[in-house]
Amino acid sequence: MDQLINRQVLFDSFEGKATSLQRKLIEQWLEDADNRNYYYRCLDEWERSRPQLWIDQQRAQQQYDAFLTGETKRKTRALTDPETEVQTGARIRKVIIGSLAAALALLVLGFVFRAQFLYKTYESSNAHLTSILLSDSTEVTLNSNSILRVPRFGFGRNVRQVWLDGEAEFKVTHTRDNLRFEVLMGDGYRIEVLGTEFNAFSRARGKRVFLTKGKVKLNLPEGKPVYLAPGNYFTTEHKGSFKVVMPAEPLAITAWKERTFYFEDTRLTEVVEQISERFAVRIRIMDSGLGDRTIGGIYQARDADALLETLSAMFEMEIIRTSDEIELRIPQKQDL
Amino acid sequence: MTLPITDDSDDFVRVFQTESSRSDKPAIETDDERLLRETFREDPRLGCSLLFRRYYLTLCNHAARFVHSRETAEDIVSDLFESFWEQGLFEQPIHSYRSYLYTAVRHRAYNYLRWKIRPTDPLESIRSAPVAHTIAPDDAMQYTELYLKVESIIQELSPQCRRAYLLKRVEGKKYEEIAEELQVTTKAVEGLVGRALARLRTGLKESWFLATMYFLIP
Repeated sequence: MDQLINRQVLFDSFEGKATSLQRKLIEQWLEDADNRNYYYRCLDEWERSRPQLWIDQQRAQQQYDAFLTGETKRKTRALTDPETEVQTGARIRKVIIGSLAAALALLVLGFVFRAQFLYKTYESSNAHLTSILLSDSTEVTLNSNSILRVPRFGFGRNVRQVWLDGEAEFKVTHTRDNLRFEVLMGDGYRIEVLGTEFNAFSRARGKRVFLTKGKVKLNLPEGKPVYLAPGNYFTTEHKGSFKVVMPAEPLAITAWKERTFYFEDTRLTEVVEQISERFAVRIRIMDSGLGDRTIGGIYQARDADALLETLSAMFEMEIIRTSDEIELRIPQKQDL
Repeated sequence: MTLPITDDSDDFVRVFQTESSRSDKPAIETDDERLLRETFREDPRLGCSLLFRRYYLTLCNHAARFVHSRETAEDIVSDLFESFWEQGLFEQPIHSYRSYLYTAVRHRAYNYLRWKIRPTDPLESIRSAPVAHTIAPDDAMQYTELYLKVESIIQELSPQCRRAYLLKRVEGKKYEEIAEELQVTTKAVEGLVGRALARLRTGLKESWFLATMYFLIP
């Protein structure tokens, strides 16, 4: 059988001219190692007589010799896909990916800082009140330690919306087209008015709304909205419950505007909360008996220290300042 | 009547035998690479250099039948020679350098094609040397069929499409240059080359069953 396979038959097979019977014969013939060597010898001869590429052998030889002598390192070749069209494609893709990434980054930045971009934020620091006149002539007085956010580019056509964190008094103008004015107080509490005067309070302690004039619709996180009449005082209590009362002395609610505190039979715990809210200080009552003592009166105060000094005389308490908070305690009686 | 037939068949056998004896098969095979072998024994570096001088062109020529790109073919062959030296493969008892090199080049070219068709395969497999230095007997024929298939797919392309593809891949020209040469827009050239590649891809995938059958079974 070996004699059936000769150079010409192999050449035919390299060119795809061999019949299937010949191919079968060659396969069997190739099982012998010597025959395989002859096969590749013929293949090499065949290739040598059928060049199809112009190759700079000299350059390649120089490069290989330089590699052999250790002058150059082994190349890392882009065998992945040296097609130039794919490379251009990859380059274009890189550019596209780059631009997409940049656009995405911009979008993300825009998204993260959209509040800063779209809204103007007013902030009252400690012991300061801020008066703001909004674009619709609504007047807002911002209590200290409070933040009000309003649209930077004016209100939209559907609603006038502001966000409140802290305490503020609103004197909302009634627009000609009866545009709603909304105060979003967080946690799902939303005040909805047309044109009124009210005091809104939104802090960790709860949400409070006191209406002086007009009519207020108060949307709650759940349940029906509450409608307030002038003089009504809405306060939230624990776990979403609330009450609406007619306070005997509304001055207590709006006293902050005059930079005063209005106390009437007020427990020290409540006094302390009001002080810490307005001046952003941390006050701790160290003795349990102390917190239940009550106080009355109007107190003018520009800062927490001055007020506490005044109160300390009345409550017979000791004020101890630590690095980050103020401690109130009953002074130790010194037995002689 | 029967006599001439026997005569004919006798004649046939005789003719065939003369043809066979005329082939230089037994005479040269014995010491074809003897000189190389001796050089490797004395100076492996010189041996490698000589080996490169002798087979680089034909190996590139052969690799190009699979990959249709001068650049890729040269890369495949150069890389093979570099690993041949680096890994000291010449120290192993190689029956025939030529057989080894051709087997390895075919294997690498095949891996490259396989990667091109199934780009999810790890790139590393392209470089990997053949598992065995001697190839299974029927493999040799499979490789031949593979490059023949590649060639026939290209031949079946429309003349314009084939031309664009060859200018792009074999000559490595830019789209703009090909567009000028073929008197069409750059976009059209991209389309032509893309179509050729797609045809190649689907054509090889169809016959891949045949190829994978033999190559992937460990």
